[in-house]
Amino acid sequence: MKKILILTLACLLVLSFTISCKKKVEQTPPPPQAKEQPKVERVEEPPPPKPELTEEEIFERKTLEEINAEKPLQMIHFDFDKFFIRDDAKATLESNASWMKKWGSVKILIEGHCDEKGTEEYNLALGEKRAKNTFDYLVSLGISVDRLKIISYGKSQPIDSGHNEISWERNRRAQFTILEK
Amino acid sequence: MTKKTLCYLLLGMMCCAGATFAQQEVVMSIREGMPIIPMAIPEFLSQESSPESQQAAATLRDVISADLKYSRIFSPLPQSYYGYIQRELDPDNIFFKEWESIQAKLLIVGQLLKSEGENILFEGKLYDVKSERFIFGKRYQSSKDLLRTVAHRFCDEVMKIYGEPTLFTTKIVFVSNRDGNDELYMMDYDGYNQERLTYNQIQDYMPAWSADRQGIAYTAYEDGKAKLYLLYPFQARRKLIWDKGTSFGTNFSPDGKWMAFCSTEDESNSEIYMATGEGENVQRLTFNKAIDTAPSWSPTSRELAFTSDRSGSPQIYIMDREGSNVRRRSFGGTYHDGPAWSPTGDRLVYVSRVEAVFDLYVLNLRTDQIIKLTEGYARNESPAWSPEGRHLVFSSNRVTGTIQLYAIDYDGQNLRQLTSKGENKLGDWSRQ
Repeated sequence: MKKILILTLACLLVLSFTISCKKKVEQTPPPPQAKEQPKVERVEEPPPPKPELTEEEIFERKTLEEINAEKPLQMIHFDFDKFFIRDDAKATLESNASWMKKWGSVKILIEGHCDEKGTEEYNLALGEKRAKNTFDYLVSLGISVDRLKIISYGKSQPIDSGHNEISWERNRRAQFTILEK
Repeated sequence: MTKKTLCYLLLGMMCCAGATFAQQEVVMSIREGMPIIPMAIPEFLSQESSPESQQAAATLRDVISADLKYSRIFSPLPQSYYGYIQRELDPDNIFFKEWESIQAKLLIVGQLLKSEGENILFEGKLYDVKSERFIFGKRYQSSKDLLRTVAHRFCDEVMKIYGEPTLFTTKIVFVSNRDGNDELYMMDYDGYNQERLTYNQIQDYMPAWSADRQGIAYTAYEDGKAKLYLLYPFQARRKLIWDKGTSFGTNFSPDGKWMAFCSTEDESNSEIYMATGEGENVQRLTFNKAIDTAPSWSPTSRELAFTSDRSGSPQIYIMDREGSNVRRRSFGGTYHDGPAWSPTGDRLVYVSRVEAVFDLYVLNLRTDQIIKLTEGYARNESPAWSPEGRHLVFSSNRVTGTIQLYAIDYDGQNLRQLTSKGENKLGDWSRQ
């Protein structure tokens, strides 16, 4: 009888061990997920408040080269052999004029350019007419005459070196350089 | 017969004559200049036998030969003809009959008398073969790197004897971007010895020689303006002529007294102005709302050819120096520009545009005949005459695609490329 009891106990022991072992494996907790972890918010000191730059001050700090590089004044284009201001150019000139009104001290140079489909000499005269018409349109929009200068480069400074209609269209233009601010 | 009937009779006769002329066929015959003079240029002798001396003598002969051939007056005989000459040339005892036998009318005898280190002494002599007569001779002492100049000078002397202006020592001034931006350069008539004249960061444009070749008028893009300057390249100075509006396109009168140029001073419209040869006393010649540009003096310095779009498209006109007596000379095209009046007075070369192609045309002012000078799908423009009016320099984007300077004869012969580095344009040929 005693023998049976010992055997039973031993069996129970083994059984309980196995069970406990199994349970342990099952109970292994899944790796903690990051989002479950409590986050510690680092409370930073607020940065020293930057002095608020007004637009004027930013403008004031820029060099002429920087302003010109931003191209605040959009160039306009012309029809072949013509120098009248096209309707699509009028909108561009209006936005250019409002920029100039905003920065009332700016003085600009209007450059007239032509495509390679004209001869050297006639193109110089034509470029000047394009610049002058641009000048007149800006004046009609209320820009003071003494803020505008004009020059013609003829076909000597193309922005597109191609030899097709698209290049020629791009090269027939009036573009703007800011001389003073 | 009363006076009245006589008048009617005369009128009738004139009408008849007019009708006959109108019906006449036009017969074109080419009778230009004088017959070409064949000349013999045998190998130049060298007193020293060193290869350098031999080489120098050969160079001198080659350049002289090429120059005289280019003149369109002389024709150096082909090398193969010299094979008929049996004996060696003895400069002191020339056997002229032999040279006559190969049809030579002139004989050039060249001798390199000395060739020491960097210096040479060259003697060139010109003989008339038939009369067995010495015409002229010159000795030149120079350094070896000026061999070409020595040869050019000798050929200019030959030209002078035939009543021709100097050609071979003339210079062509032009604009090149080979060193980054547009600067002025000059070169010999044959494209050799290209040298830079201006050194700056701005764009230099449209150069023109003064009549005495001492000055070059040009446009400099400076301080947001296109100013007209007169540069004296051999005196290293320049002076401002005009800085109102965009000023450009100068041409000097052959008598040296005047210069004409364009300026957009008035309402940004290009008009033609005139000043003295030194750029003083500027006065305006054209007054209208159209573009007037590209003035070119007549050889008499009394008239100007120019471009105007007063008719609606750019066309060639001629006016008196005072701005009066304007008459149109180009018809039948929609775009003409860049007239250049030949020093011989009878021809006007200009650019005509058809689609995107420019070609040069020569208008004979006496007969109104027009010759097309250039061919090919390219933009040929900015023509300028050589001083004797047989050659032209112009710019073209033919062949290479880049713009280069070319020379061509008044009748379309002898097309040659003068430049190849960078882009080169706006050539002007000096008058001496």
